[in-house]
Amino acid sequence: MRKTEVLVVGGGPAGLSAAIAAASMGAKVLLVDDGLKLGGQLVKQTHKFFGSHRQSAGVRGIKIAGMLLSDIEKLKDKIEVVSNTTATGYYQDDGVVTAMTGEDVYMKIKSERVIIATGASERMLTFPNNDLPGVYGAGAVQTLMNVYGIVPGDRVLMVGAGNIGLIVSYQLMQANVEVATVVEAMPYIGGYLVHASKIRRLGVPIYTSHTILEVYGKDAVEAAAIVKLDSKWQPIPSTKRILNVDTVCLSVGLSPLIELLWQAGCKMKYVPQLGGNVVLRDKYMRTSRRDIFVAGDVAGIEEATSAMLEGKLAGLIAASDLGYAYDGWEADREDTLSSLEELRRGPLSEKIRSGLKEVVVEW
Amino acid sequence: MLPVSAEVVIIGGGVHGCSIAYHLASKGMHGVVVLEQKYLTYGGTGRSAAGIRQQFGTEINCRLAKENIKGFIRMKEELDTDFDLELEQGGYMWLAYTEGQLNQLRENVRLQSSLGIPSKILNPDEIKELIPLLDVEGVLGASWCAEDGHVNPHRVTFAYYEAAKRLGVKFYTYTKVVDIEIEKDKVKAVVTDKGKISTRKVVNAAGPWGKEIGKMVGLDIPVVSERHQIMVTEPVNRIIKPLILCQDDGSYWKQEPTGGFLIGMDNPNEKKGYDVGVTWQFMEEVSRRVLKKMPILRDVRVVRQWSGPYDITPDSQSIVGPVEEVEGFYLDVGWSGHGLQFAPSIGRIMSELIIGEEPFISVDVLSFNRFKTGKLIPEPACI
Ligand SMILES: Cc1cc2nc3c(=O)[nH]c(=O)nc-3n(C[C@H](O)[C@H](O)[C@H](O)COP(=O)(O)OP(=O)(O)OC[C@H]3O[C@@H](n4cnc5c(N)ncnc54)[C@H](O)[C@@H]3O)c2cc1C
Ligand SMILES: Cc1cc2nc3c(=O)[nH]c(=O)nc-3n(C[C@H](O)[C@H](O)[C@H](O)COP(=O)(O)OP(=O)(O)OC[C@H]3O[C@@H](n4cnc5c(N)ncnc54)[C@H](O)[C@@H]3O)c2cc1C
Repeated sequence: MRKTEVLVVGGGPAGLSAAIAAASMGAKVLLVDDGLKLGGQLVKQTHKFFGSHRQSAGVRGIKIAGMLLSDIEKLKDKIEVVSNTTATGYYQDDGVVTAMTGEDVYMKIKSERVIIATGASERMLTFPNNDLPGVYGAGAVQTLMNVYGIVPGDRVLMVGAGNIGLIVSYQLMQANVEVATVVEAMPYIGGYLVHASKIRRLGVPIYTSHTILEVYGKDAVEAAAIVKLDSKWQPIPSTKRILNVDTVCLSVGLSPLIELLWQAGCKMKYVPQLGGNVVLRDKYMRTSRRDIFVAGDVAGIEEATSAMLEGKLAGLIAASDLGYAYDGWEADREDTLSSLEELRRGPLSEKIRSGLKEVVVEW
Repeated sequence: MLPVSAEVVIIGGGVHGCSIAYHLASKGMHGVVVLEQKYLTYGGTGRSAAGIRQQFGTEINCRLAKENIKGFIRMKEELDTDFDLELEQGGYMWLAYTEGQLNQLRENVRLQSSLGIPSKILNPDEIKELIPLLDVEGVLGASWCAEDGHVNPHRVTFAYYEAAKRLGVKFYTYTKVVDIEIEKDKVKAVVTDKGKISTRKVVNAAGPWGKEIGKMVGLDIPVVSERHQIMVTEPVNRIIKPLILCQDDGSYWKQEPTGGFLIGMDNPNEKKGYDVGVTWQFMEEVSRRVLKKMPILRDVRVVRQWSGPYDITPDSQSIVGPVEEVEGFYLDVGWSGHGLQFAPSIGRIMSELIIGEEPFISVDVLSFNRFKTGKLIPEPACI
C-alpha cells in the first residue's frame, strides 16, 4: 500500500495545477496519469488557444503543458509522478484507490486527500456499424496525429461542427488528409467562426441540419451515408447521400469521466450544460466527501484555463486541510477565485454559469 | 397514483415478486399490485450470478429444481417475450477437495438420481476431460449435471413483468412499503410512502428486506441479510460453458454467453446488512483463488465489481406460504443465495396458495412454522 498526503488522479492542466498548488503549500503529492506523457489534452493541442483568459489566450496548448511541467519539475522533492498508470477504482470502505501501471503492475494507494482530475471522454453516436475500424473520436484522431505522428486515413467525414470538430478538420488538412465534409445536426455551426471560415476557405463544405446515418464496410470503413434532418430532427430519406470515406470522426461532445466519483459515493447531479452527470462541490472544489476534490473537465466540460484555476483551488484547499500553508496563500486563493469568475463572465460562458448554479453548493 | 384497494399486494419487484404477479394474473386474478421501493431487479435479483441447477441436497429443492429447468425452457414461449433470456444449459460442476465433501456430493447425487435428476459423480480424469483448462490439483471428485446452466436475471424478471403487465397487473416502482395495517389478525391495508392500499392479501417477496416487512405484522422472520460480491471481466472468446464451484475455498465462476467471466466466492466474514458496496480485498482474494484454478484467466482484464444481499435463514432454506399468525400474509423469502432459479416453480406455487388451489408441489416443509416446531431442513448444497 502506497501512502501519500494528496493523491491527484489525472495529469492534464487541472491535475498538474492541483499538484503544483498542493506541493507549493508543502504537502506530499502523488500524481498518477494514464498517459505516457503528462499534459492531458494539452499535449496534442498544437493550435493557438481560444481561451479568453489573460494568461493563456493565443498560446498553444502544448506550450502551456510545458510551462506546467517545468513547475512540476521544480517541485520534484514534493511531487512524485507515476505515468502510464490508470486509477481503476475507489473503494468506499477505506478510501483506497487501486491503480494499474501498464497491464502488469497493480498498486493500492491510501491518501489523506484525493483530487480527481480525470477530464472527459468523447461521446459516441449510435448508428449501424459504428464499431468498424475507421470510426474515431475526433480527439483520438488529434492524439494520433499530433502526439504520435500517425494519420488516421485518406478521406474523412467529420461529424460535428463544434470547436473540436472544426480544429481537428483543419489539422487533418494540414496533415494532407482530405476532409470530404463536415456534418452538423444542429441548424447552425457551434464552433467559433474563425475556425469554420478557415476550413470553408479550403473548400470543405459544412452541412448543418445533417447527420451520419450509417457506415459501410467489411473489415473497416469503406463509405458512410449522411442525411438531412427536418425541423423535428427526423432524417429526410430522399436526401441520403453516400460518401466514399475511409475514416469517420465523431466530434459530438464530451462526457465527464466521473466513474471514480460514483464509486466514492459523491453526490452527483445531471446537468446538461456541464456535459452530463457531474459532482456537487463547494466553490473550492470540495465534494460531498470531505476528503475528495475535483477539478477540470471532470467537474463540467469547460476549457483548459478554467481547469488550471480549479486545479489550483483544489490543491490549495486539500493541502490546507492537512495544515500546510505558505505566506499569502489565502490571497492567492481569493485571486484564483476571482480569475475564475472573470473568465466565466462573458456571454460565451452563459451555459457554464447556468450549469454551475446547479452544482456549486455550500457544505 | 396508487389504487385505493387491491386484491393482492406483492411487496418486492425482484424475480419472485414479478413471477408471482404473472402467475396470479395468468390464472385470471384481477387487482394484482406490485410495489417496489426502488426499481425492478434492485435487490438480489439484479445482482445475481443467476446459475440454475438441480443439484440440491434436500428433496423439496430437487423436486422444485426439476420444475425450474422445465420452466426456464418453456419461458420464452410462455411469456411471449422478445428478450433473449440467455438460457444456456452448459452444465454445473461442484468440485470436492475433501472426503467429507465428496461423500456429501455422493449423497446428494443419490437423492437427485432417485428423483430423476441426471447428475453424476466424476473422477478427476473425467473432470479434466470435460474442462481441460481447469487445474484439478487437490480435487478428489465432482458432482456434475449437464442440464444445469444459467440465465440472464434481468431479462427473466422483465419478461415476467411485461407478461404480467399485459395481463393487467399494476407495478409501482419507487414506492416503499412502510407499514401493514392489521385488524383482528387479518391483513387490512398496506401503507407506502406514496399512500395506502386496502387489501386482504399481502405477499412478502422483499428478499433480504423480508425481515423488515415481517416486523410490520409483528413477525420475527429469521432472515439475515449478508453482502455477497461478484467481479466480472471483459468479454473474451468462449472457452468454458459450465458453471464451476470449488468447495475448498468457495470460489465459483461462469462465462456468460457474451464472453465475460463472472466470478464470486463465499466469504463468511462478509458485511451483514444492505450495503451494496465492494472491496479491493474481495477483488484480490477472488482473483488469487480463481487464478490458481483457471490460470488461463491471468491476462483477462477485470471490468467491474458489484455486490448484492443474500437473504439467509438458519437452515439455508426458503420460507414459503401463508403464516398462522396473520391471515392474508404470505411469505416468499429467505432464498439463501439460490433463489433466482426458483422463480418459475415458486411463482406458480405461490399463486396457487393465494388463490386457494392445491399447490402442484407441496411446500409445507418450507413453512414459517418450522422455526417453531424445530423441523428445520438444512440444505447442504449451498454456496
Ligand atoms: C481538440 C480540442 C481542442 C481544445 N482546444 C482548447 C482551447 O483552444 N482552449 C482551451 O482553453 N481549451 C481547449 N480544449 C479543452 C481543454 O483541452 C480541456 O478543457 C482541458 O484539457 C481539461 O483539462 P483536464 O485537466 O480537466 O482534463 P484532461 O486534459 O483531459 O486531462 C485528464 C488527464 O487524466 C487522465 N486520466 C483520466 N482518467 C484517469 C484515470 N482513471 N487514471 C489516471 N489518469 C486518468 C487522462 O488520460 C488525462 O491525461 C480543447 C479540447 C480538445 C479536445
Ligand atoms: C452475488 C449473488 C449471487 C447469486 N447467485 C445466484 C445463483 O447463481 N443462482 C440463484 O438462483 N440465485 C443466486 N443468487 C440469489 C438470488 O439472486 C436471489 O435469491 C433472488 O434474486 C431473490 O429474488 P427475490 O425476488 O426474492 O428478492 P430480491 O431480488 O432481493 O427482491 C426484493 C425486492 O424487494 C424490494 N423491497 C424491499 N423492501 C421493500 C419495501 N419496504 N417496499 C417495497 N419494496 C421493497 C427490494 O428493493 C427488492 O427489489 C445470488 C445473489 C447474489 C447477491
